[in-house]
Amino acid sequence: MMKIKMRDKLRKWREENFRNSEQIVDVGEELINEHASKLGDDIWIIYEQVMIAALDCSRDDLAWSCLQELKRQFPDSHRVKRLAGMRLEALERYEDANKLYDSILQDDPTNTAARKRKISILRAQGKSSEAIRELNEYLEQFVGDQEAWHELSELYINEHDYAKAAFCLEELMMTNPHNHLYCEQYGEVKYTQGGLENLELARKYFAQALKLNNRNMRALFGLYMSASHVAASPKVSAKVKKDNVKYAAWAASQISRAYQVRRVREENVKCSAHGITKAVYTVAMVHNVNIIHL
Amino acid sequence: MAEPELLLDSNIRLWVVLPIVFITFLVGVIRHYVSILLQSDKKLTLEQVSDSQVLIRSRVLRENGKYIPKQSFLMRKFFFNNQEDGFFKKTKRKVVPPSPMTDPSMLTDMMKGNVTNVLPMILIGGWINWTFSGFVTTKVPFPLTLRFKPMLQQGIELLSLDASWVSSASWYFLNVFGLRSMYSLILGQDNGADQSRIMQEQMSGAAMAMPADTNKAFKAEWEALELTDHQWALENVEEDLMSKDLDLSGMFSKELPTGIF
Repeated sequence: MMKIKMRDKLRKWREENFRNSEQIVDVGEELINEHASKLGDDIWIIYEQVMIAALDCSRDDLAWSCLQELKRQFPDSHRVKRLAGMRLEALERYEDANKLYDSILQDDPTNTAARKRKISILRAQGKSSEAIRELNEYLEQFVGDQEAWHELSELYINEHDYAKAAFCLEELMMTNPHNHLYCEQYGEVKYTQGGLENLELARKYFAQALKLNNRNMRALFGLYMSASHVAASPKVSAKVKKDNVKYAAWAASQISRAYQVRRVREENVKCSAHGITKAVYTVAMVHNVNIIHL
Repeated sequence: MAEPELLLDSNIRLWVVLPIVFITFLVGVIRHYVSILLQSDKKLTLEQVSDSQVLIRSRVLRENGKYIPKQSFLMRKFFFNNQEDGFFKKTKRKVVPPSPMTDPSMLTDMMKGNVTNVLPMILIGGWINWTFSGFVTTKVPFPLTLRFKPMLQQGIELLSLDASWVSSASWYFLNVFGLRSMYSLILGQDNGADQSRIMQEQMSGAAMAMPADTNKAFKAEWEALELTDHQWALENVEEDLMSKDLDLSGMFSKELPTGIF
């Protein structure tokens, strides 16, 4: 019974890409040491999952033993070679890891995993401009790789190149139109870029994120901030100003509602709803926003 | 109904009909596993992978372009369809129709296909014909004309016998085609024992592979993208959103809801 539960837990974490490496190592190590024979063919993918988690937790011994088992079973596999490369990366032997990945790519130029590991080596070494360049080349070939687009957007944000980060996020939004997190991140990038047009775009995308998921607090705050900034800008027409004031007011009321819900759930919450409404009022006053009813 | 019904020995049912069904089924299963063993790795070139992904991206742009701002949509459309150096206008792939002569891997694939499918069918059909000859096996439920007699009644030299009574060889062929659905039930879709599918593939021609198609696919995508317009889905999103209060249920629960997307 226990082992079935453990196996199902591991499978759930694997399928939903959780990164709870310590838990995986605990559960996986016990599963491997005690029930290895009863797992059948599942054991290989569990070895892979546990090995990656062990690398995260610096458990070299566990990683090494998993790798040995996999090497013994699949001696010529590219997938296992990539895991060996990841272990070398964890030990900071980047040159050796690079050589290993190059040998995989010589054998199979379409292998995306090896290419992505090389780019992450560059990122680990802190060479972000080279990583950006390599990632761009990779994406020219493999335009559909969403993980890579997201990584590139993160790299661009770190370099403060917001226009290009926005481009990457647009690719992601197109392929995942129902993912509210991409809309919200896009709104944040546009908000950071600044300028009236970008603020209006940001407001729209925060609203879209809220429409997709009503509980996204960050998008709600973003909506409030962008609407109030647009309303406060001197260059807008009266109608636009009125609209944005209305949006900001609505957002503020929803924020306070959310805090009410929180207060009702936990009676002894430290920050009272009253305090939050006061804070929202203050921010609103600064922006000269008229809050009708809170 | 008017002609006299023939009464067949029930031993025929036990020792002919059922064994033929079993034999056909088992041979099909064996063929499926043999085809898996003999399957050669299809190596895709980098260019093919890249092209297929570009086509997917263009299709996504057409379908979901309404979620990104108009400027970005136009920028991407321009990139693909620009007169002078748009991607679809500029890239011409080398078209090499893969005929069996020039492409050795195609040749081996064809041979393997033949060996696994056609050869056993002929062998087993002939063996059944030889073993179970000289008697009628079953009656098909619909009346047939006399033209079918030499085909379906091999080995039975009776001129007056109704053409509906068939020999064991035809029962075998009936099984080969009839057990297709059983195979998909037991071996899952896309199994190697499905003969009629193999024959269909052979008939649709060997030039079904990507190279010839890529140029045509690019042209089709270019036309489709030319026609698409940008209808921004976010035009009235604030009004839509603010028409009612937010649904905050389940907001602070401990369980992380994974079905958000």
